[in-house]
Amino acid sequence: MENTNSFFSRNKAYILTLVGLGIVGFIFVKYMMIMDWKYIFDFVLSMASGAGVAGVITPPASGYEAMVNTAFGQNYEAIAPEIIRASNERQEYIWWVFVGEIAIFCVMYTLYGRKSATVTNPDDQVQVFSLFHRAIIWLNVIIIITLAITGFNITWALRSGGGELPYLLRSMHEMTGIIWLPFWLLLSIIAFKDAKLLFNNSVINKIILLGKYKPMKRVIYIAFVAMGAGLLVSGIIIWFLHPDAFTHGQFIQFKRMLLYVHFGSSVLIMFFLMDFLYSVLVSVKGNLKGLITGKYPREHLEQLAPDVLVDIENIKGN
Amino acid sequence: MNNKPDFARMKFYCDENLCIDCNGCVVACKEAHEVPVGVNRRKVVTINEGIVGQEISVSMACMHCADAPCQQVCPTDCFYIRADGIVLHDKDKCIGCGYCLFACPFGAPQFPKDGAFGTKGKMDKCTMCAGGPEETNSHEEFEKYGQNRISEGKVPMCASMCSTKALLVGDADEVTLIKTYRAVSKGKGIATEAMGW
Repeated sequence: MENTNSFFSRNKAYILTLVGLGIVGFIFVKYMMIMDWKYIFDFVLSMASGAGVAGVITPPASGYEAMVNTAFGQNYEAIAPEIIRASNERQEYIWWVFVGEIAIFCVMYTLYGRKSATVTNPDDQVQVFSLFHRAIIWLNVIIIITLAITGFNITWALRSGGGELPYLLRSMHEMTGIIWLPFWLLLSIIAFKDAKLLFNNSVINKIILLGKYKPMKRVIYIAFVAMGAGLLVSGIIIWFLHPDAFTHGQFIQFKRMLLYVHFGSSVLIMFFLMDFLYSVLVSVKGNLKGLITGKYPREHLEQLAPDVLVDIENIKGN
Repeated sequence: MNNKPDFARMKFYCDENLCIDCNGCVVACKEAHEVPVGVNRRKVVTINEGIVGQEISVSMACMHCADAPCQQVCPTDCFYIRADGIVLHDKDKCIGCGYCLFACPFGAPQFPKDGAFGTKGKMDKCTMCAGGPEETNSHEEFEKYGQNRISEGKVPMCASMCSTKALLVGDADEVTLIKTYRAVSKGKGIATEAMGW
C-alpha cells in the first residue's frame, strides 16, 4: 500500500511543478535561446550595484568603442538577436503552446474527472464570496482575457496583416496592462489564503478568501503572483520608458531584457492559467455559478470544500 | 563588355572627423518632413564632449541595412527594401508594437505619442527622403512620410544641408570613392573637393 504521508506524496504538486519547470527551462535555455548569459548575469549585477541600466559593463577601450556604447549601447549581440528569434519563432511555435495547454487540460480531465456534490437542499445557501471579492475576481478575468487577446494580436499581426484594428488592440494592450496593476495587486492580496496561517484577526478574515489552499492551487497562486509581477513590472517599465532618440543608447539594452522577461512570463502564466481554468470551471460542478452569485449550497461545501465551512465557523466564533 | 556586377545601394556615411555637432542635419530633416516634436529621424551623437582633440560626433539615422533587423522582426511585415537598398515601411500596416526598435542597433525607429489612449503611435523613421508606398509626391505620402526628394533626383535634405559635408549619401560605391579621396588627401591641403565655387 502506498504511503500517503511520505514527503513525496505531501509535496507532490510542488516537486512535479519544479521538475516540469526545470525540464521546460533546460530545453528552452539549452536549445532554444541564443543569449550571452555571462553578459546578462554581469548586466543584472551591475544594475544591482547601482551602475545604471545602460548595459555598458566594461569601460570602452577606444574612441570607436565609446562611440558605439554611446550611440547603440554595449553588446548588441547579447540580447537583440534573441528578441528577433523570439518574434519570428513565436509565430511558428505558438500553436504548440496551445497544443501543450490543451493536452494538459485533457490529461487532467482524464485523471481527475469532474467532481459534483449531491445537493438535496439547494435553498440552504452559504455566502462564500462577497461582492468585493467577486468584483476583483471578475475584473481580473476580464482584464486577463483582454490582455491575452490583445497580446496575441501583436504576435499574430503577420496573419492579421496589421492595420487600424490590430493597431488599436495593441494600444489597448498597453492601457489594459496599466489598469491591471491595482486589480492584480488586490487579487494577490485577497487570494493570499496562507496569510490566515500567519495572522488571525477580523480584518484578515474579512479581506482574504475563505478556505485553505491545496498544494496545486497554492502553486497556481504563486505562479499568478510571480508571473503577474514579471508581466506588470516589465510591461509598465517598457511602456514608461518611451522610445526617445537621445536616450536610446541608455535604455535599450535594459528594455530588451525586460521584453524577454515579458515574453517568458506571458508563456508561463498561460500554462498555469489553463490549469487554473480546469480547476475552477471543470473540476468541480457548480463552481462557476458560485463565483457569479457568491453563494454555494451548504451540502456542496460540506462535501467538496469543508475548509470553507471551517473558516466561516471560525469567523462566527470570533 | 564589363562583366563586373554593379549593385547600386544607397548608403549614408558620416565622417566623424568632419562632423561639428551643429545639428543642421537634424533641423533640416525635421523642417523638410514636418516631423512632429519628440520624434527625431536623425540625431547627432557626441563623445568626449568638451575635451579638446578628443571630441568626435557622428550624425545617425536609419542606416538602411542590407539585412535589416527591423524587417526581420516586424510582425506585420510592414517593411520593404527598394531595389536601390532604401528601407521603407508602410504606416497603414504598422501597429506600433516597437519590435523594430528593440531589434535596431541604431535606435532609428521613432514613435510619436499620438497613438490611441495616448500610447505610442505608428513608427516613424528616416526614409532617405524617398517617401513611402503611397503615390509618389502625393499629399498622403507627404503627410505620412514627408518629402520624396529621391524621386525628384535630389539629395536627401540632411546631407544637402550638411555645412562641413561630413554627411554623405548616395550610391555606396560613390560614397566609398569620396571617402577614399578624403583619406588619401588628408594632410595635403583641402581634403574635400570644392563645392562649386
